[in-house]
Parts: sequence; structure tokens; C-alpha cells
Amino acid sequence: MPRPEIDQITFTVDGREVEAPAGTMLADAAKLGDVDIPVFCYEPKLGAPVGACRMCLVEIEGIPKLQTACSTPVRDGMVVDTQNPRVKAAQESVVEFLLLNHPLDCPVCDKGGECPLQDISFGWGRGESRFVEPKRHFQKPVELSPLIAIDRERCILCYRCVRFSQEVSEDYQLVLHERGADTFVGTFDGHPYVAPFSGNIMELCPVGALTSQAYRFRARPWDIEQSGSVCTLCPGQCNVSYTVRDDRVVRVLNRQNDDVDDGWLCDRGRFAYQSTYVDERVQGPMVRENGRLVPSSWDRALSTAVDIIDAADGRVGALAGGGSSNEDGWLLRRLMTEVVGSRDFDSRPAGVLSAGLQAALDAPEAQATVADLEWAHAVLVLDTEPVDDMPVLDLRLRKGVRRNGVRLAVATSRPSALDPNAELSVRFAPGAGEAFVCALDAAVGGVGDVAGLAAAAGADREAVEALGRMLREAGEDVVVVWGERLTHAADPEVGANAARALLKASGRLGLLDGRRGAGLLQVPTGMNARGLRELGVLPNVGPGYSEPAQVGRSSREIAVAAAAGEVRALHLLHVDPVASYPDRALWEAGLAAATGVVAHASFLTEGVLEHADVVFPSEAGAEKEGTVTHPDGRLQRLRPAVGKPEGTLPTWQVLSHLITALGGRATALTSMMITSEIAEAVPFYAGITHDEIGGFGIRWQEREASDAFPAGDSGPFSLVAPVAAASPNGALRLGSFRSVWSSPEVAHAPALKFLAPKQRAELNPDDAADRGIRHGQRVTVTADGTSVSATAHLRTASPRGSVFLETGLGDQSASALQSTEATVPSMVTVESA
Amino acid sequence: MTWNPDSDVVEVARGPEPGGLGGAYRVFGETLRGLKTSFMRVVEGTHTVEYPEEKIPVYPRWRGRHKLHKFEDTGLEKCVGCSLCAAACPADCIRVVAAENTDENRVSGGERYAAVYEINMSRCIFCGYCEIACPFDAITMGSDFELADYNRSDLIFTKEMLLAEPMVRTPLRAEGE
Repeated sequence: MPRPEIDQITFTVDGREVEAPAGTMLADAAKLGDVDIPVFCYEPKLGAPVGACRMCLVEIEGIPKLQTACSTPVRDGMVVDTQNPRVKAAQESVVEFLLLNHPLDCPVCDKGGECPLQDISFGWGRGESRFVEPKRHFQKPVELSPLIAIDRERCILCYRCVRFSQEVSEDYQLVLHERGADTFVGTFDGHPYVAPFSGNIMELCPVGALTSQAYRFRARPWDIEQSGSVCTLCPGQCNVSYTVRDDRVVRVLNRQNDDVDDGWLCDRGRFAYQSTYVDERVQGPMVRENGRLVPSSWDRALSTAVDIIDAADGRVGALAGGGSSNEDGWLLRRLMTEVVGSRDFDSRPAGVLSAGLQAALDAPEAQATVADLEWAHAVLVLDTEPVDDMPVLDLRLRKGVRRNGVRLAVATSRPSALDPNAELSVRFAPGAGEAFVCALDAAVGGVGDVAGLAAAAGADREAVEALGRMLREAGEDVVVVWGERLTHAADPEVGANAARALLKASGRLGLLDGRRGAGLLQVPTGMNARGLRELGVLPNVGPGYSEPAQVGRSSREIAVAAAAGEVRALHLLHVDPVASYPDRALWEAGLAAATGVVAHASFLTEGVLEHADVVFPSEAGAEKEGTVTHPDGRLQRLRPAVGKPEGTLPTWQVLSHLITALGGRATALTSMMITSEIAEAVPFYAGITHDEIGGFGIRWQEREASDAFPAGDSGPFSLVAPVAAASPNGALRLGSFRSVWSSPEVAHAPALKFLAPKQRAELNPDDAADRGIRHGQRVTVTADGTSVSATAHLRTASPRGSVFLETGLGDQSASALQSTEATVPSMVTVESA
Repeated sequence: MTWNPDSDVVEVARGPEPGGLGGAYRVFGETLRGLKTSFMRVVEGTHTVEYPEEKIPVYPRWRGRHKLHKFEDTGLEKCVGCSLCAAACPADCIRVVAAENTDENRVSGGERYAAVYEINMSRCIFCGYCEIACPFDAITMGSDFELADYNRSDLIFTKEMLLAEPMVRTPLRAEGE
């Protein structure tokens, strides 16, 4: 459904003429006239109002009874009174009723000082209660989950948390038990409420009933400062507000930005701040001495790093992790091109795309925004699992489907959390993304051999055709949310073919014509993958997607060259390829063979711990300064909320220092100077400043400078026959996924530790039955003599002939089984351990 | 414009000189009138309070050094670490860090207690707002006003110091005194 046109109407509230968009609820519209109507249960983010708390009663001329302002839309000429004695009496009574069972233990309550119930009782209540009977009592506080404490005595039954669970995150876990005055909130059978977005209910709660276990009794509103920034844990780049007390982050709240996060945060973003203050974090520079990393002085670490890079004589490979800011990536690029003289640097974990194809995929005309997902006619989620790869997108997709009737289609190899919301779910064989996109293109165009291509992708022909039909007929606003790993194939030609097929199919659907509300939205594997790409931190692409004079090695080629001794030194910027890139074995060999490895890291993950010769501390999210680029092209600013550990240099200063020490030209004295350097180097970022980016970021596509975007490849795109998925033939295809909980931040944050994933093999029950495997049993997954042990997890939705393992779990990762050279994914055998 | 020194000369208008008898009165009469007060005090004898050996008792509502209180029956601290005193403090001299009571370590009556409670006496202006703000009467202003020290950091009073029964150094004025 496209965005509706909204008329302005005029109504009167408390004698003031106010103009408001038609259909706005009275509680919101009154604010436009500076009239405050108290509310508890009303929260526009939660969708349709329920009118549960009765706090917002107002008198409307022509209606004999008082009406709830939260559920009455304004109409032209409406006359509203919020001040007369009848309304006042109603408000006072409602407050008195709400406080009947409220314990009023404000001094010990964590919400005290920032509590809407306190504020409203003070502003609209009568100040004393006539209630003398005993209040209801519950055991308190109870653990609703390891992250959330619930105090049922304080609950005023506004339903906000239950509505969030039922209608926004749709995990359907929270329910109201009992009836009337005995009602209480909980999960149906009392199990802990663990869900990727559970933390949001604490922010929604208008009283102190749901409080954070991690923030419990840490501070009062007058002890703290809020500091706005952007979360750097995933490409979602949600806007956050860090709560700081005594120069430490003690809590993370959302900072609503409707164009990015819609006011929600995932639990990883909310609690991972704790990993900033653990002993395992790299606190200062370290140098390898007698085979062990030991703390060292900055001078020594910097000079060792300089020696390593110098000794490699230009044969240096560099990797920029997805968590690097634009400034860090840019300085790494300058270090490599201007000083070291090497083009061997990459910011993608795998795969190569030409500058032309990359530019075609990222062109402003083809770009869909996050907000477009809410209003599209149809959305296709292609080879990505939003809840794991970019969690906040999951909520946006659910919102579109639930409230605006967006038709959702999911095409992935692993069953998706969005399947229940999707009109159509298509499965294809793991790793057969290229073949699937070719089949999709044929189905959308109604030409070519859909049956053959679908078979090559291991997908059901009719499902692919139905998907093609649905996308063609849904309407002109179609958004394709596609996962970057579609182009990660070992063979660059396969990745390029997938990209061309995606562009061809999008062209057929009219997504590349610059229509607002339609287009492509990539879900990258790294937080700032888009920014790093646009700066040219790629081996074959220059700043602003220009064609560079010389092409270097990609990630995978760097690993091969390092293992063969052609690349001598490696520079790892916020990335550990052993832990997080595909081809684990290859990277282990590459890092082991390298004569020197310089790493910037927050945690000593396995590759860094074993192979790095110098480790510089990376900043934590709340300490970082710089800019990042959202997958839809929104430049956002990271502002430091707290100081860095004593004596620590920020990454950009370390890189600047390396540039000057190796004979380069220092150009940056502040982080902001690097931003302006970037604005000069990337034509379509021209003139961008921190001021312009502001608090909510700015999409470069909406600026004039976007005219400077280079023309990418344009059609007609010709496709080659895709690589067919291998038939299982007794073995199983290996698919991999990375859970939202798989990151060093989660593993080290005390509150989140319990969520750190353990390896599990997802199997279809029939496949499991053939092998005599039961749910929950230990199994070994073997490929080419390497095995990984896992717990069998039987899912009916899991497609037959495939097994899915998690990545990012050390030597028990799926990446340990993925072979290096094969173009098709590995076949594995699964047997009980 | 050049400076003209003459333009800055100010003419002072003086009253008439008294001269003669009037002048004599001004010299001796007025001086003696002033000295009368001094001579009258001389016959009264000394009035000096020999502080610090001798102290003037303070009134019951005197606002001196703070005290934190415990329940007499259970021995638990009255303070629950709500931090309202810190919010009320206009000099921003109170710092409270709360923590949660456990069954093994029960410090106060409620769910929370003050793990850190510090008053920076070098900043305190003794306004007594903390006492008024406290919902549990856990903090009161005592009578002690002798807080001088050689070191600023010694003027940060911790919870243990505030809970301890203070040395009685200042006499409290008895009823009707």
C-alpha cells in the first residue's frame, strides 16, 4: 500500500484553533496546540490504540459522554475541552483508581524520577487517596527473564508490554493472566521471556513494573546524562542514547528515528554496552613477546607496527572489518595506497564485484529506504534473515505486513522468522543463491527456463513462478531486501552473475527507475559495509565507485597470497578473519604464514590471540567518534558518550601515526578533518559536514551532490548458466547462518552471556529419522575429514536435504567445514556422536 | 580629540566650616559621646566566650553535621539509597550509589540500600534540604559544626562516618534555655 495523502484539518482544543493532519488521534493532535492530555496505555509505536487506562478522557462537543482522546481521531471542526470540571473530575478519579493497588514505593523503585505515573499523579491527580483497604500483593521482584525484572504490584495493566509482544515483535510470549483486579502480566507457562527484542518492554512500561536487571539501582535520573549516538553492532545502525554515570555507560535507550529504527532496539544493542567494562577487553596496546601477547607502551607498539609494515616492503594486505567507521576505513585506505603502496585491501569478507555492478546496485535510483518497507506493495526478503543480520528491520517488515497490508515474500535457504507473516515462502538450496536469482529473474520476466533454473537452485518450480507472479502483479512499489552474501561466492564470476540477475529482475519490476518507494535494500554483512564501499576500501573500486588505476587482491585472495608468502604482513582493522570470515582453514594458514600481523581489536578473539604481533585497542561503541553510512545511504554520526580508558589513542590517531611514521603526510588533527577529507574524495558526499549530518543523519541521495554519482553498469544484463546446487545424494548440503547473539560483545557482556549461542545442527525431522537422530541429541557433522560437534535441532520447517550450522563459534563453526576452493557448498554427513 | 586636563577637574562644593565653639564640640563632644559606650562596657567586665574551651550551646533546630540513622530494633539502615537527598541538594555535594539487598547481605529494610553514601562537607551549605527530602527520616542534621580539617579529601564523609555515633563536641541547648 503506498503512503496515503494526508489532509490538514482544523479543530479547536481548549478554545485554541489547531491545525492537524486528518486522522491523527486527539491525544497527539492536541500537542500541536500545546495542550497536554495525559496518557498511559497510548503509544503510537504500538499501533492501534486500545483505550485501556481511561486516563485521556476529554469532552467533545456533541458527544454526551467523555471520550478517550487516544482512540478518537480528530475531525474538521471538532471542539474539544480538556479543562472543564467534568474532565478534571474524571482525570482525578482515574488517577485515584490507578493508584489503588500501586504500592507507592517510589524511593526504592528504579523508575522513580522518570516515571509517567509519578508525573501524571502530580499533574492530574487529587493528591490524596480515600482507599483504606489492603492493596493486592505479589511476590516481588520476580525475574521475568535474566534481563528483565517484573514487579507486579506496581503494574497498572496498561497492556503496553503485552501489545508489544503480541503485535510488534510478534513473539506471542507475554499474556495477561486472570481477570479484573487479579490480572497480571507474564508468560503463559511462566518460562522466561527471552526474545531478540524483549528489552523494549522496559522502555514502554509507564511505571516501574518492568525494570532492567542490568540497570537495577544503578542511578537516578538526576545522577545521569544522556548522550546520543548510533549503535555500531549491526548494519541496522539504530539511533541510541547512552545513559552515562561517572563516565561509564550504564544503560542504552532508543533515540527514536523513524527513518532508521522506528524507536526500537534489539537486546544486543541494549545490553552489549556491558562488554566495555569487562577485564577481557583490550585496554591498551599489546606486543607479542616470546610467543605471548603482553601489554606494552604506545611507543613500542607503534614502532613495532611500523617495523612490521616497513619490513614487508609493500607486500601488505589489509582488511577493514564491518565495524570500522568511515574515518578509520579512509585512513587505512590512505595508509595502504599512499604510504605502503599496496592495493591489497578489502572490506568484504568474501566475493568481488566490479565497480560498475556495485554502482548499479547502489545507485540512488535503485535505492529503497527503510521507511519504504512499511508502505511498499510487496517486499521480497532475499537470502537474508533480518532478525539475525539487521534485527530492527524485522520489526519494520512485521509492521508493514500487519498495519499496512504489505505483501511479504521470503526467499531463503534456511527457514525464516518472517515465514508466518509471508504470503509466500520459497526455499532454495544453501549456497544456490545465484541460481535462485536467475530463476527468479526468469519467473518475473516470464521468459526462459524457469523449471531448469529452479531445479538448479534446488527450489520448487511452482513456488518460484508464484513468487514471480506475485512481485509482477503486486503493484509498482516493490522493495527487494537482499543479503550481501548472495554475492559472496568463491568464484567472482558467480557473484557477478548473481548481481546481474538481481539487477535484471529488478529492472523488469521497474525498481531501477528512481521511483520513490521502490528499489533495492541491501543487508550487508558488516555494520558500515556501505560506507567502506563508497570510500573505496575495496581492492577493485576507488572512492565513489571510481575505477582504480590498479586492482588489488580481495579478501580471499589476500588469504591465499598470505598463505603462499606473497603477502607478508597483514593489517586487521576491527576484524578477525579466522573467527568471522568464511574459509576458516585458509585464514588460519594465511595468518600463520604472515611474518607480521597488526590488529586493532576490542577482544582477543582466536585469530588475534594466536597470530597478531601488535594489537591496538579498538574503541567501544560509546567511545567512538566519526561517521558511518547506513545501508540505505544515510550518513550518521557517532559521538563519543564516555572517555576512552586512560591513555588510550583512538584508532584514527593510531592510523595517522602509522602514516606519518612510514613517511606519509599527516592530514588529520581531528576526526572531523578526516570527515571533510572524505567529503572531498567521494564526489557524492561533497560538502557534507558533521553539522549537516546532525542528530538524525542525512541520506546522501537526498542532497544535490548525489548528481555526481557515477553511472554504473546498465542493462541489458546477460546472464550465464548458474552453478547448480549439488544433489544431496545421501549426504546433506551444508548451510550456515550467523545468529544475532554470535558476537564477542554478547559473549563478554555479563547480562547477555547466557544467550551466547552453542553450535546446533538444524535438520528436517525426516532427514533426522533416516539417520536415527533425535531432537537434542549430540551429533557430529563431518566434511572432508573435518568434523564439528553440535546438538541436533529438528525443525519441521527446515528443508529436506540440508543441514544448517552456525558460524562465528570458533573451531566449531560452520566455516570450519566450508571448503576453500569449491564453488558449490560443501556436502556433509551427520551422525550421532 | 586631544585630551584637555582642565576638563577633568571637578569642583567640590563644601559646606561652611563650623569654626569656634562648633568646631570644639565636634572635636571633643562627639568623640566623648562615642567613647561613652566603650567606657560603660569596661565596668561590666569581660564577656568573651573562651572558644574552643567553652562553647555556646546550639538550638535544637541547629543544622550541623549530618547523621544517618539505623532502626533501633533491627539495626538495619533506614536509608534505602533513593538518592532524593542528592536531587534536593543545591550544592550537589551528596553522592549515592545504590545496590540491591540480598538475603545474605541485608543492609536496609527495602529492596535497595545505599552502597556508597558520601557527603562532601567542604561543599555542603547546611541548608537542610536533604533532611526535608528524605522519605524515611534516614538523614538528619546534627549539632556538630566543628568540621575544619587540614585536607579537603578528609571532608568527604562516607556512610560509615555518617552512621557512627558522632563525638559530642557541641552542647545542645536544653529546653527553655
